Amino acid sequence: MPYLTRRSIALGAAALFLSLGAAQALADRALLNVSYDPTREFYKEFNAAFAADWKARTGETITIEQSHGGSGKQARAVIDGLQADVVTLALAGDIDQIASKSGKLPKDWAKKLPNNAAPYTSTIVFLVRKDNPKNIKDWGDLVKDGVQVITPNPKTSGGARWNYLAAWAYASKQLGGDETRTKEWIADLYRNVPVLDTGARGSTTTFAQRGIGDVLISWENEAFLVQKEFGAGNFEIVVPSLSILAEPPVAVVEGNARAKGNLDVAEAYLKFLYSPEGQKLAAKNFFRPVDPSSADPADLARFPKVELVSIDKDFGGWAKAQKEFFADGAIFDQIYRPTN
Amino acid sequence: MAMSDRVLPLAHTPERATTETAATKAVLIGIAVLFLAAILFLPLVTVFMEALRKGWGTLFESFGDPDTLAAIRLTLLVAAIAVPFNAVVGLAASWAIAKFEFRGKNLLLTLIDLPFSISPVISGLVYVLLFGAHGWLGPWLQHYNIQIIFAVPGIVLATVLVTFPFVARELIPLMQSQGTSEEETALTLGASGWHTFFRVTLPNVKWALLYGVLLCNARAMGEFGAVSVVSGHIRGLTNTMPLHIEILYNEYNFVGAFAVASLLAGLALLTLLAKSFLEWRFAGELAAAARRH
Amino acid sequence: MSVPVRVRNLEKTFGRYPALKGVSLDVEAGELVALLGPSGSGKTTLLRAIAGLEQPEAGQVLFGGIDAGSLSLRERRIGFVFQQYALFRHMKVFDNIAFGLRARPRASRPPEAAIKARVLELLHLVQLDGLEARYPAQLSGGQRQRVALARALAIEPRVLLLDEPFGALDARVRKDLRKWLRGLHQRTGHTTLFVTHDQDEAFELADRIAILDHGRIEQVGTAAEILGHPATPFIDSFIEGIARREARAREWTKPHAVAGR
Repeated sequence: MPYLTRRSIALGAAALFLSLGAAQALADRALLNVSYDPTREFYKEFNAAFAADWKARTGETITIEQSHGGSGKQARAVIDGLQADVVTLALAGDIDQIASKSGKLPKDWAKKLPNNAAPYTSTIVFLVRKDNPKNIKDWGDLVKDGVQVITPNPKTSGGARWNYLAAWAYASKQLGGDETRTKEWIADLYRNVPVLDTGARGSTTTFAQRGIGDVLISWENEAFLVQKEFGAGNFEIVVPSLSILAEPPVAVVEGNARAKGNLDVAEAYLKFLYSPEGQKLAAKNFFRPVDPSSADPADLARFPKVELVSIDKDFGGWAKAQKEFFADGAIFDQIYRPTN
Repeated sequence: MAMSDRVLPLAHTPERATTETAATKAVLIGIAVLFLAAILFLPLVTVFMEALRKGWGTLFESFGDPDTLAAIRLTLLVAAIAVPFNAVVGLAASWAIAKFEFRGKNLLLTLIDLPFSISPVISGLVYVLLFGAHGWLGPWLQHYNIQIIFAVPGIVLATVLVTFPFVARELIPLMQSQGTSEEETALTLGASGWHTFFRVTLPNVKWALLYGVLLCNARAMGEFGAVSVVSGHIRGLTNTMPLHIEILYNEYNFVGAFAVASLLAGLALLTLLAKSFLEWRFAGELAAAARRH
Repeated sequence: MSVPVRVRNLEKTFGRYPALKGVSLDVEAGELVALLGPSGSGKTTLLRAIAGLEQPEAGQVLFGGIDAGSLSLRERRIGFVFQQYALFRHMKVFDNIAFGLRARPRASRPPEAAIKARVLELLHLVQLDGLEARYPAQLSGGQRQRVALARALAIEPRVLLLDEPFGALDARVRKDLRKWLRGLHQRTGHTTLFVTHDQDEAFELADRIAILDHGRIEQVGTAAEILGHPATPFIDSFIEGIARREARAREWTKPHAVAGR
């Protein structure tokens, strides 16, 4: 017994040393970016670029820590005390939540940076299997019998809400604005969904890795990423006739950044997103840059032209859309019944 | 002849009965082995095969990733704190429950079982409610700039909570069945409380304790749910091995994910091997301890 | 070395159930006294209270004039043998017997050579020479009983307390051990109390017998006194079997071998 105890103590001490060593190796300042799921690959590259730029300008070595998860879940964690210096989430609504519940950033955070604090945009497209066996061309094909649609749960996933709103916009336009029939159409759509994952990345692995479903309603950048990871020949991107302009916003969580003495670097970090280098990296990682002039034309050529509705103009902003569609007992709860 | 015809089957009856038992036995053993192979062995093999899909080189490369190394370090650190802590506290709680009569003993027993019966997610959420920025202790912690959740202390706490019953649950029944007379004898012979504990109580339960510690360790390294809630998922800082596996998997880095998964599975297997080795090495002593006198 | 034991008005309850209701008992130095009674009569509780394993709510235990309540378990120097012997199962016979000596504070601990000599001497006393390297699980019931006794004697106790010392043994071994214990007591002369529910055992072995019922001592006396003058109807019925056997034995052999002092 004493032998065992001594060994555990030694092990504990060793582990402690290792972690202390690791901490020592870190720079004095570390910036925490709390982000949503599909941005991993982009921020991996962007963080390295920013750290190099910051080092060149100030001589200081900065470490950027990344946390990824569902947008709503990440907002919740920041509210509960996750010490994010900056948040880069899927929806303005999630940052609004942080502003109102924690008071760590001003209510008008979206005005601090250009383009509603969205340095890149994206949209919603379809991903289908090789040669498009179900011949899916537009939203109308998704409600057909025998078509399995993969999309995450709009109650938990930011991306899923964009999916839902894009579908709604299409149906509403097709049906001449008849709300009852639009609701029925949306109900038909969700009847074709066999699995509702909690996040966009979960749906993507369900579709691409586990091979479930005929079509994935997906972030445009996520769809490109699947083609890159699983081979371009295995999946095809289908661009519907109408989609929605998604503006994933970014903000400095001033309360945290100030407490950690990171306010300057946090602001510089977000500004760098709008810089030519930041915009170029966004385009490279399949996000549509707000300032395309500095992006690689080859990257830009990948983005198809598509008619886009906007959350502010067509749905009256996130607060209204949230209340109307996704709050408890709102339209989504009324129409969605699990199929099995 | 008619007579013997009738007698023969009768005489054979018991023999046939044993044959049937043997057949039933074989079938039952077969089902058990098949079940184990399908449910346990096959998935385990899959994990190792997936990890090796792109060869040993890629497998070892994935352990060069600093985030993966950080996850391994964090997991070992958390286990190194949580397991000794639970061993000591579990031993103390078992001792109190098995050897003394006191008010609220049944309540304490129920509390010890609680982490087994509630979902790990709840175990994690409890700490968010307690230590979160808007939790009971949140404002006080913020004032003193102490970070508990979304940092290593929170992960350790959640792990401690989830793995607490393992040691206590192994020890309590054994200590209860052993009774208090050996300790009382030691005390009447003039031994101090500590002497009694280290020379009588502890040696009597050391196998159960070791078993509990090993189980506790396996779970501490493998815990996902509770840790996921309090981790904050900061790469290289607050991701344990199970969380890192999920992240790698979600990043389409399947070899990396299964490499870490096979390391985790390997650690678990090592734990079991260590237990089996000790049991084999000290088989005689074990048997003597198990026999009641 | 042996001291008289005086018990004064002991009271002890377990929850709402009274186990001892004002028990008093005097045991002289070197005397062998049986605590006899049906189960639940309080005899084991009385023994444990004398040992200091139970804290009485009221009353006193005196060891040769010293209030035992002021003594720690170590200072009481009690040799206590449990019904199931409670041998340390993970220790060899030698280490079991040496336990009390090794547990002493460093200053008063005998050197290992002295401990060894003492243990071997005790093993010889209980007739277990050569078994010091065995584990308890490798011994018979009677052998374990004697190891427990040797372990209790190792600390040179002031008082020897035995709880149902033969309760776990089969009838034949029990008879042999009874005789052997009587002989051992005559040689060592410890003040000894033992608990039993077996009338024959009490009457054959003890100098005096204290009969308990419902937490009270109903009668204390020699076998002859109790058999001759049962104090209460309970005693009368409790010793009925003995009285009948005694009467029969007296007809066959005179003078009888029991109840000698």
